[in-house]
Amino acid sequence: MRSSSQHVRRVGGALVAGSWLMGCSLLESSPNQAYAPADEQYQTSRNLARLAAQPPSHHGDTVRFVLVGDSQRFYDETEDFVASVNQQPRIDFVAIAGDISDFGLGREMHWIHRRLQKLHVPYLTVIGNHDELGNGRAAYQKHFGPLNYSFVYQGTRFICLDTNGREYGFNGRVPDLEWLGQQLADTTGIARTVVISHVPPNDADFDPKLVQPYTQLLRRHPQVALHLGAHIHRFTAGQPFHDGLTYLTAYPLKKRRYHVLTLWGQRYFRLETISYAKVR
Amino acid sequence: MLRCAKAGALAAALFPLLAQAQEPIPGAGPFFLTVQIGGGIGTVAVGGGYRLARQQLEPEVLVGFVPRRLAGGPALGIITLKTTYIPFSPKLGQHLRVSPLTVGGMLNYTLGRRFFLTSQSTGRYPTKGYYWWSSAVRVGAFVGPRLTYVGAAAQGWRRTSAYAELSTNDLYLVSLLSNKTLSPAEILTLGLGAKISR
Repeated sequence: MRSSSQHVRRVGGALVAGSWLMGCSLLESSPNQAYAPADEQYQTSRNLARLAAQPPSHHGDTVRFVLVGDSQRFYDETEDFVASVNQQPRIDFVAIAGDISDFGLGREMHWIHRRLQKLHVPYLTVIGNHDELGNGRAAYQKHFGPLNYSFVYQGTRFICLDTNGREYGFNGRVPDLEWLGQQLADTTGIARTVVISHVPPNDADFDPKLVQPYTQLLRRHPQVALHLGAHIHRFTAGQPFHDGLTYLTAYPLKKRRYHVLTLWGQRYFRLETISYAKVR
Repeated sequence: MLRCAKAGALAAALFPLLAQAQEPIPGAGPFFLTVQIGGGIGTVAVGGGYRLARQQLEPEVLVGFVPRRLAGGPALGIITLKTTYIPFSPKLGQHLRVSPLTVGGMLNYTLGRRFFLTSQSTGRYPTKGYYWWSSAVRVGAFVGPRLTYVGAAAQGWRRTSAYAELSTNDLYLVSLLSNKTLSPAEILTLGLGAKISR
């Protein structure tokens, strides 16, 4: 009995040691593994907790945040971006509109997080098509969190959702319109809603079957002030569906340019463009 | 096999002194079995191979496994073709051989519908080369030391080696080469393993 329990303990110890070894990022099972060190997991909920705990940058219903997209493999630029954002006064948070990684590998997400964690304010992400490659979706969930989530800050509901329909073979379920409808319907205490996704609905990588239902759903909710995206690697702003809703796409990180968005009232916003120098 | 023999001959030409100093380690046949943990080819990978070129070249095939907990979903299966070159294995006492440096390359394929050989093979993308790389196939290179124990002739498994490897893969290397703020140490992966032969 005793020797068997000792044996169990020894095997248990070996398993614990083994999982610790597997846990250390050097002893990697596969570049496709969905592993993040304990202190780097689930950044979305950690950053939302930080956001909830910090005092807002402005009084009243004003919210001010940084928007950029496509950090994929631009680690040098990300470092310079962080230095630049840290010099901006009165920012609530930073939003990265998808394509955190280039190859959908967990270690890329770790490299980006290592840089973004030096931001003085919380950062939030939405999943991009590159983050879904291979086992990337699982790696994204481990490093950041849910593919669809929403949060309220300063009277604003931010809805962050997966619109990378092509990565699901246009299966008619991405973006998840039922979930989006529920988030849009919940307007208690909300002055306005902002949607953040990676692929904008006027791009060929958005599920063509869902373009109409998606834009109609947003149209039915007048509190939607802005639709923010990235993916096409250039800044665009306009009303492509001629329905009064402004769709905006962010600069990719490699352009060394980002936006600071200030929102107030129901639909007022100000867009500032910040360029930053190459440090290296 | 011929190509491996040629590679061995080439290696012998490149390192003539080492090749002369190198005598095949006695007592064990050319076949070997391998078990490895980490190194990017599975949480655990098992396989085997056949020694070539005066036992300085070890081509092998391994099958790796990543459990659900680390895969974040269905377990991953990985098939790896790997070759290790052992330029020298000096004796340390009666039974031990130390190879301070082995080098090699590998090619692996991760199984599953999540991974594509080429992006156009999925039929999901509008243009050829929508994604330029393969998410299923990785090419890697490694270096590392090895310690070999050669037992008495009567022993069943006469020869046991333990090894460590620091490796990287094509996509990590591309990331390193396109960034100054990424350090070479950050793209390394550790693998630990053992090989036995009779």
